Amino acid sequence: MRRRSSLPVTFLVPTLAILLVLSMVPTLYAIVIALQNRELSTPGYSWVWFSNFADLFLDRRFLNAVWVSVKWEIVTVVATMAVAIGLGVLMFEVASPRLRNVYCLLFIIPVLLPRVSAAFVWKFAYHPLYGIATYPYRLITGGLIFDPLSKASTALFAVASVDVWQWGLFFAVIVLKLLETLPPQPIEAARLDHAKRWQIHAYVTLPMLKAPLISLMFVKMIESLRSFDLIYVMTRGGPGVATETLDMYAFSQGFIESGKVSYASAMAVLMMIATVITFTFLWKRVQA
Amino acid sequence: MKSNRLAASLGAAFVLTASASTAALAQAPVCSAPVKVLAQPRDGLTLLEDSKDEFQKLSGASFQIDYLNENDRRAKSRADASTVGNYNVYYVDEANVALFASSGWIAPLADYYPAEYDFADFDPGRQKVATYDGKVWFAPLTGGGDLMVYRKDVLEAAGIQPPKTLDELIADVAKLNDPDKGMYGIALRGARGSGANVWRWMPFFKAYGGKWFDGDKPVFNSDAAVKATETYLNLFKDSAPGTQTGSWDESTGAFLSGQVAILVESTPLSGMAVDPKTSQVVGKVGFLPPPAPLPGGGYGHGLAIGTKANQDDASKKCAGLFIAWATSKENEKRRLDAHQFGELNRTSILSSKEFADIYGADLGQALADTGKVTAVNFWQDPRWPDLGDRWGIILEELVTGTRTDIKGGLNELEAYANDLVKKK
Repeated sequence: MRRRSSLPVTFLVPTLAILLVLSMVPTLYAIVIALQNRELSTPGYSWVWFSNFADLFLDRRFLNAVWVSVKWEIVTVVATMAVAIGLGVLMFEVASPRLRNVYCLLFIIPVLLPRVSAAFVWKFAYHPLYGIATYPYRLITGGLIFDPLSKASTALFAVASVDVWQWGLFFAVIVLKLLETLPPQPIEAARLDHAKRWQIHAYVTLPMLKAPLISLMFVKMIESLRSFDLIYVMTRGGPGVATETLDMYAFSQGFIESGKVSYASAMAVLMMIATVITFTFLWKRVQA
Repeated sequence: MKSNRLAASLGAAFVLTASASTAALAQAPVCSAPVKVLAQPRDGLTLLEDSKDEFQKLSGASFQIDYLNENDRRAKSRADASTVGNYNVYYVDEANVALFASSGWIAPLADYYPAEYDFADFDPGRQKVATYDGKVWFAPLTGGGDLMVYRKDVLEAAGIQPPKTLDELIADVAKLNDPDKGMYGIALRGARGSGANVWRWMPFFKAYGGKWFDGDKPVFNSDAAVKATETYLNLFKDSAPGTQTGSWDESTGAFLSGQVAILVESTPLSGMAVDPKTSQVVGKVGFLPPPAPLPGGGYGHGLAIGTKANQDDASKKCAGLFIAWATSKENEKRRLDAHQFGELNRTSILSSKEFADIYGADLGQALADTGKVTAVNFWQDPRWPDLGDRWGIILEELVTGTRTDIKGGLNELEAYANDLVKKK
């Protein structure tokens, strides 16, 4: 009988133990705090059990934040994937190998910028009087003012465009590199059958890339959940509550406005549960 | 001969005493570790960093200042002071001093502020703002009230006299607003926050007779609040672009770049308006107290001793020495020499000949006049930031048009205020 090696246990146990401590301790602590009524300004607290959760569903800002978070997730993920696939295919079709390298270098730069820096750069670019992004509007309309960050109908899209600018261009480089790794035979066979360029990509190359594209989409979905810094710098959740996502509202309640850390933790716990359920469901659907 | 001997003896005694003091100082420096300060950007603090060596010699340690903008500084200092306490010195302001003091996050300053630095020399109004529950909590870095700052050339060209009443202000702002020529009637603050849009809204609320609380009963949901909000929103139609979601930086920036005719803002703007380094409208600006019955918004920001990072008396003394040195007459004189108007707080400096030579008699007179109408407009209570920030969100929604029901917003705030009172 072969002796079982102890090597996997030696390597796995300490790593898993550290991972467990790092992930479970804050999670459990957040759950415990969510069941209390802790506030930053008072040292005392008591157990209120599910009262914070009940209050959340009567809070119009929380309900608004849920809706804004859903919109944010859909807009940023769909737009990022559309830009990535569109630009990736375009570069693959029209650019020479040398030019592709130049584009790749340029398209990687935005994602290398720290989020906060990107947010400040674009906040100024969107300034109604001096911004470079609003300049074309002023030029065309003879000086009319357009302030995208202070209009509820445009603010979310203006902030989302910065997210797409960073991640869409980066993902376009990945899509291009994926297309370059595909075997040429199916593409040549489609050309011999007189398939048009868009048909080749719609029916041959992109279906071949389904698995990596879905992985990219999941990466973006997770990344979009962490857009706090971008929104905080550009709009602080405004105008009003038009761009106030769940993490932004939780931070506001915990540290900016009220110091209600238990209330904020209840939001974080709900967000965690919703994220786990949604991602598990989506993952199972994709696997099926 | 006798007097020579006496002089020599005194001289020797002085040298010996001085040497002994130096030796004692060298042996027992007041500070054993660098002083960590959490602040918001101020020209005066930046200038202070040039004199780090001086503080090192004085105390035996250096200092490090971390800067965050106003709203972030408030959030971070609240989180830090209530949990880990990383900072020895916090930058606090009139809006949160009650919360910090009543929560025990800062220590009474008078116990650790060396007497030779003469705290009584600070402007009495600023001393008042720094006092809560009968104790002084911070040494002022800036403060004051409001001034109406206006473009003399623009008003003259339009044949308009500077407004003396609120009704005149409203009428003049509408007349002077001319976006086609890049000129806006006024610049207000739309961004959320008890120290942002609510700060500028409060003088209107007070002017119409508004009150926050009667004992524990909220009484702000009144005709005065509705009228103040309507007036504020009406004026916002003629406010410079970018101010709808902007605050002090955006509104003063619009004025200093020559795009605004009239502005009622905190007094530091007047110093910036006459400084060629920050203003494109130097020589074209006039100053007056806010149009009646608008009261000025009395305010003060300064440095306070954190309690968590300074557990023992020695570290509190070190933080106190830093605060005293940072706000000393010598450092304030340096700020005057650098033309940092908004950083001046001591009566000995404000009434000096050098001050009058630099800023002129008009501004001095306007400052003296506005002092008479400066008032505390906010609710002086630890729960003020909570209530004020909540109203800030609703007001931002009203300014940007994402909600239109003023009364509904006030009802929502009243319900929130009742919850706050119940929790007391």
